[in-house]
Amino acid sequence: MGPPKKSKRDSKGGFSDKFAKKRRAEDEAYTQLVEENDNDNNEADGVPGAAAKNVEKNDETIQDDEFGAKDYRSQMQLKPDHQNRPLWVAPNGHIFLESFSPVYKHAHDFLIAISEPVCRPEHIHEYKLTAYSLYAAVSVGLQTHDIIEYLKRLSKTSIPEGIVQFIQLCTLSYGKVKLVLKHNRYFIESPHPEVLQKLLKDPVIQQCRLKRDETDLGDNFITNVTDKKAVPSFGAKAAGAAPAPGTEATDKPAEGATTTVPDDITNFYDKIDNEEDEDEANLKTVSFEVNQEKIEVLQKRCIEIEHPLLAEYDFRNDTINPDINIDLKPAAVLRPYQEKSLRKMFGNGRARSGVIVLPCGAGKSLVGVTACCTVRKRALVLCNSGVSVEQWKQQFKMWSTADDSMICRFTSEAKDKPMGCGILVTTYSMITHTQKRSWEAEQTMRWLQEQEWGIMVLDEVHTIPAKMFRRVLTIVQSHCKLGLTATLLREDDKIADLNFLIGPKLYEANWLELQKKGFIARVQCAEVWCPMSPEFYREYLTCKTSKKMLLYVMNPSKFRSCQYLIKYHERRGDKTIVFSDNVFALKHYAIKMNKPFIYGPTSQNERIQILQNFKFNPKVNTIFVSKVADTSFDLPEANVLIQISSHGGSRRQEAQRLGRILRAKKGAIAEEYNAFFYTLVSQDTMEMNYSRKRQRFLVNQGYSYKVITHLAGMDQDSDLFYKNREEQGQLLQQVLAATDMDCEDERLPGEIGAPRAGSSKKGGLGSMSGADDAVYYEYKKKSNNAHAHPLFKKFRS
Amino acid sequence: MSVESKSKFTNIEIKDFRQYLREKPADILEKLYNYSSICLAVYRELPEIARQFVIRILFVEQPVPQAVVASWGSKHYAKEQSNACTVLSELNVWRPAAIPGGLPAWELSPTFKKNLKIALLGGGRPWSMTSFMDGDTKPREISFLDNYAKSRWSCVLHYMVGASATNPEGEGISPDAVRILLHANLMKRDDSDGSVAITRQGFQFLLLSTQAQVWHFMLQYLDTCEQRGLNLAECLSLLFQISFSTLGRDYSSEGMSQGMLTFLQHLREFGLVYQRRRKECRFYPTRLALNISNLNSSSRNLGTDEDNAKERGYIVVETNYRIYAYTESTLQTALLTIFADILYRFPNLVVAVLTRESVRQAFRGGITANQIIKYLEQYAHPDMYTETAIVSKSPLPPTIVDQIKLWENERNRFTYTEGVVYNQFLSQADFITLRDYAQSINVLVWQNERSRTMVVTKNGHEDVKKFWKRYSKSGS
Repeated sequence: MGPPKKSKRDSKGGFSDKFAKKRRAEDEAYTQLVEENDNDNNEADGVPGAAAKNVEKNDETIQDDEFGAKDYRSQMQLKPDHQNRPLWVAPNGHIFLESFSPVYKHAHDFLIAISEPVCRPEHIHEYKLTAYSLYAAVSVGLQTHDIIEYLKRLSKTSIPEGIVQFIQLCTLSYGKVKLVLKHNRYFIESPHPEVLQKLLKDPVIQQCRLKRDETDLGDNFITNVTDKKAVPSFGAKAAGAAPAPGTEATDKPAEGATTTVPDDITNFYDKIDNEEDEDEANLKTVSFEVNQEKIEVLQKRCIEIEHPLLAEYDFRNDTINPDINIDLKPAAVLRPYQEKSLRKMFGNGRARSGVIVLPCGAGKSLVGVTACCTVRKRALVLCNSGVSVEQWKQQFKMWSTADDSMICRFTSEAKDKPMGCGILVTTYSMITHTQKRSWEAEQTMRWLQEQEWGIMVLDEVHTIPAKMFRRVLTIVQSHCKLGLTATLLREDDKIADLNFLIGPKLYEANWLELQKKGFIARVQCAEVWCPMSPEFYREYLTCKTSKKMLLYVMNPSKFRSCQYLIKYHERRGDKTIVFSDNVFALKHYAIKMNKPFIYGPTSQNERIQILQNFKFNPKVNTIFVSKVADTSFDLPEANVLIQISSHGGSRRQEAQRLGRILRAKKGAIAEEYNAFFYTLVSQDTMEMNYSRKRQRFLVNQGYSYKVITHLAGMDQDSDLFYKNREEQGQLLQQVLAATDMDCEDERLPGEIGAPRAGSSKKGGLGSMSGADDAVYYEYKKKSNNAHAHPLFKKFRS
Repeated sequence: MSVESKSKFTNIEIKDFRQYLREKPADILEKLYNYSSICLAVYRELPEIARQFVIRILFVEQPVPQAVVASWGSKHYAKEQSNACTVLSELNVWRPAAIPGGLPAWELSPTFKKNLKIALLGGGRPWSMTSFMDGDTKPREISFLDNYAKSRWSCVLHYMVGASATNPEGEGISPDAVRILLHANLMKRDDSDGSVAITRQGFQFLLLSTQAQVWHFMLQYLDTCEQRGLNLAECLSLLFQISFSTLGRDYSSEGMSQGMLTFLQHLREFGLVYQRRRKECRFYPTRLALNISNLNSSSRNLGTDEDNAKERGYIVVETNYRIYAYTESTLQTALLTIFADILYRFPNLVVAVLTRESVRQAFRGGITANQIIKYLEQYAHPDMYTETAIVSKSPLPPTIVDQIKLWENERNRFTYTEGVVYNQFLSQADFITLRDYAQSINVLVWQNERSRTMVVTKNGHEDVKKFWKRYSKSGS
């Protein structure tokens, strides 16, 4: 993570310029970090060995059948009452769940706890057991035998032996020991004395043990019987809602009526569900105290000997760190899934560290704010851009009783006085910045390092690489970490490591279900195919790779499609965001169409001004943004998104961008879809492959992409640019000349276009895409003979 | 017919009864019309207007002027009328005749006329299959017959996909049936080792609905029946008699000729009729045989009964291109492999995925997108019929349907224009003159100045040639 070269040279120049540059430098440093991490291989430390075990390999011995499929039929017996049971478990850890089964709800909650969702479309969901997911299951209080037993009961078939072994392997040692901060002393706590004995035999751990007096020798643990603790309730629900048992009771009569649910499933479900909340009720735990200075050594050692420590923070009994005076406003009402995710976090009256995965727009900030209000200790919120710092501050003011004096922003542009505040909001790059800081910032950093934070909220946690995260951890001392994200995935799959750095995934919501219940917008995803114009395609085929990208982005028919879609949605009264990763294209499109745009060099003030205008000014209905707006730009008004260029095959970016328009819309019931997500793709170019790759994540969440091969009415529209060959030729020349033109001419974003009607007209995507008449562009069919494939040779007579 | 057959050569062609008859020479048709059951079947196959015509002139003992026939309908439907007339002529149901005064007239074929009267009014020879006077002591349930028919028919299909070894019934099919499959080009004998393998037509056959399969198979059977020493007309007649019978009733084969008994045994093998023992003369027609020529009715599907409904819809197609098939049958699994990659097999579930490659593989085998979609729709799981499915009129996710069609279109991106190449011009000026001429009369397809090559359409070739002759003459 080398420092960017530019930042050394920023001493000269105007004051504001200096700041702008510095901020940019920070941004760059951050992206550099992200990129560097991708080719970083020594991540393995800090991750226990069992995590590397891969159940996928379990079925390698199984023979492929005559169709090239894994034949599991000999591995399991079908139960006679299989119709009433909802799932199959494959020997490689994949679990298939019928969503139409009467016991779906039970099975779903259970599977979310123990496994990773792979895909969740309409009818049959696929989950996967992994070492991480089982670790997460254990950490929220599930026991090994319960997991196996319940899985057995839910399954239509017998469970393969390999799976049982895998579950045992992954769960027996995990989650048995907890690191608890109580009365400002650290304890290693466990309900299993034998595990502690084992730990204490380890010489490294022995050294970490803190002995208060000399008589305390050997295996004398501190034994205490915990009383049943009230599960904290959140915000407005404080008085009314009893946790799980209450909500469960309302569901039960309905299920009883169908009577198809085998009793063993329901009984066991209740047992597990109650246990989750009350496992600490009257459990005997043993513990020993450890030396605060040696926590890090201890944690590392425990991971090495396969007993990773679960960090729990008994914030109620923490008397050293002062409480901050913050509460949820009565108006803040949590949605069921938000409450559920928080229940997982505060399940036993303490705060667990972990990650909560909710789709964008489903109210992640409220979860974060609520968590802070529950802990009521000093809170640190980390996010990844200056704009989202502002947005977090607003969220705090909106949902909680915190006021300006309590919230401190710490960014390159806004540095509030940190002393005496309860909540500090900053960016990852501010914290990990390695260059010289201003005196002011230095003071704040020092203060920040001295604090013992109650809770650290990590926004968009998937974006930070493990390396950067470790840096954050060395700088900030915090009792409990809450990661928030919409997409727990990275193209390099390193995301799994975060499980052990932050904590297990506590909860992951089902996009399709939230959509059905109206918590997020119903989005129609569409891929618009734009044929490459012949001239562009000829260049595309011959030029070098870097230029190819520009050629397919600047494809005139793509431009025309984009313009057509913008006009169409402006007429409907929609708010449109256009995304382009390529700055050249971004500027060209925006300037040509006379729309405001935001990209890297756009100053903070200008950004906020444009966003404000987009929000409130009925004349600004379309903005162009670069990838700076991928995450955390909260634009609740936007309901149309057009993507003209993107970062290769990044599934995460696709999901994040979709997230920009996911916030539930008004009039959600009226139309079938209330938000539109278009990806413009130049036909026959690399973009097609990228696009397919990018869609995988959302497709697995149950979204489906409609392919539009022809936008009906586009040819009739004479106002579109680049109609004739000459204009297209000029464009081509511009593109070919563009090499060094990059972003030199930093013009101000164009003023707002002609006034447009603000009323929303109804009209389906179907009629627009030409579904009314013909969707497919039919080419003349020719005889199949020409497609002579050697494989079918013998079939030819 | 619903199946698109672009080329007879590569793709399976399903004829309906009318198409089948149309290709028969007149003398064979005449022979067929000696059987009243065939006449009735033909009559039922006719377009509605044609049926009207036949009934109107059935009892008219002299030819009817064509002008009179034309005057029976409104002018607005002239097209339908002439269509009906063509059908009647093609099937040799009526033929042109002259009446005094030289007016063209229509006259029903006497044989057809006589036997249709018998079919409608009774009389004539008794049908070869008769009802039993005494009831069966142990009558067979309809559900039993359905199961029987289904198991017999799937034997044939199993054989085709080469799954006979794992067939639960453990029964193969007779050499006769194999011969029919070979004759129909559904299977092909490998020249080198004599083994029998499925053809692309065979794959297409498998994706058809059961009734279309049975009908196609029977037509192929009838093609070969003469070789077996069976009388085509007799067989067809018996087939239609069975097809007009009542499901669940027993009939007697008493009085049938030896040939007919053989034919009956074959029908028994394919599951069209049920017989307890080979020698017994009591037999039951099954659903497969009923309304055999009616390809569009769904009533004959083997799954109309309650308990069968579940089995019929066993495929779940997801928006992420996954296919989940609730099946243990090797046959159904094998069918999926035609266009999908199978991932996992559980005791009662097959997990497969549609990929571009797997679907293209099917296309290469001559299977069309429509066939795949039809097949998936036909066997869609009951839970696939959601609210949106009702709106879009297909239980499949629209994106999947779109994508399969797009994959098909992907393969058909060339358009072909026949043309004539002009090249080896001696001078650039010649080339430019000719090119400009071709362009001016709009026949130029392609040109390249550097290589002095141009292509004109076939129609334009004459003009361009003439122009060139005139030009070169005047030039030289």
